[in-house]
Amino acid sequence: MINLIRLEFLKLRKKTRSWLGPIIVFLLIMIAYPLTVEFLQEKLEIGFFSVLWIAILISMMLATEDIFTEDFNDGFLELMVIQNSSFSLGVSIKVFAYWFLIGVPVSFLGFIFSYGTTGNFSLSISIFPLALISSYIFLNLFALGNSLSLNKGSVLGAIVTMPLALPVLIVLGKSLTALQLDINFLSFILLLLGSLSIIIVIIPLIVSYIIKAHLE
Amino acid sequence: MNNNCIISAENIGHKINENKLFHNLSFTLDKGDALQIRGKNGSGKSTLLRIIMGITSPTKGNIKSFFSNEVCYLGHKNALKGYLTLEDNINLMQLNRHEHLDKYLNNLNLKKYLDVNVSSLSFGQQKKLALLRVFLNNSNLIVLDEPYVGLDDDAHNKLTEFLNSELNIKKSLIFTSHISCQIKSSCLDI
Repeated sequence: MINLIRLEFLKLRKKTRSWLGPIIVFLLIMIAYPLTVEFLQEKLEIGFFSVLWIAILISMMLATEDIFTEDFNDGFLELMVIQNSSFSLGVSIKVFAYWFLIGVPVSFLGFIFSYGTTGNFSLSISIFPLALISSYIFLNLFALGNSLSLNKGSVLGAIVTMPLALPVLIVLGKSLTALQLDINFLSFILLLLGSLSIIIVIIPLIVSYIIKAHLE
Repeated sequence: MNNNCIISAENIGHKINENKLFHNLSFTLDKGDALQIRGKNGSGKSTLLRIIMGITSPTKGNIKSFFSNEVCYLGHKNALKGYLTLEDNINLMQLNRHEHLDKYLNNLNLKKYLDVNVSSLSFGQQKKLALLRVFLNNSNLIVLDEPYVGLDDDAHNKLTEFLNSELNIKKSLIFTSHISCQIKSSCLDI
């Protein structure tokens, strides 16, 4: 398993465009946001968190653009199916590698931008786990979309799976309200963690069946 | 069916939409035997290999496999990463610690390209790199789809010699090839 993780990191690390692209898009959205509103602290804070969640959503969507396509085209997935007794574990590891190299830096940048915009450290530090969990959920959902549209273009898959991401956005909005009012924030974190724990088990299983069907 | 049998196919057939690729194929493969699959372009040789490997299901008939997961398979696609160096691709194939790696890198004239991106190598050199997986295999069954395509005479002879030596130690081999080779095998025409 550690070997599989190491190999996925090796592949993704060398594909600079794949991991740096989504991070740069996230940065651009977050930098562009203050330029579109009046440069007053209160006005910046009003829409900041909505933009943050949407920026995370979009960067995760971009991150999964070619998560399986290249391996599908060069025969690597075929080999994985033959050699690995648990193909779904291989899929989980792939998504984890993407999250670690893209989701974690984006979440950290989210914390920095949050602190820079609100000046509230305790609020911003609470944003960090929310961003970490939600980015992992989004990556899994969009990986599902990518597997569905493996040889039909990634946009179609993203459109199909986008509705699944909407409940997560709603929970993120509610958890922020809870955070600002200091009520029951932990329960929202637990709700997201619970969803993630189901998603990281079910989605790789579904994805592995979908990819096998594509290979067939 | 004897105890040495590792693959047994009975009246298998495959069609894509209404296009019949092959039908009523029956064959067995025993330990230490080689089977060459022959046929025209588009006759379904690669599909038959994929059926044997369990990637595709036959539309008709039964195929039973008695081999473990340890199969060395090299299909039409080489599973190489063009943006990685030759050395990184060897790591990806998990062959970097193999005791005979150096020997085969020298034999196949690949050693000097270790830090070169695979996309910069010629088709033949990429094929040799993909064949490292075969030369350094620990499997009891080797399945190859057109292994000789793109190889020069020297690499062609080395591959034939290697595959014959594998058969001598009771490994089994299934391959498709348009190019004549000196491997003692039974033939399956589709």
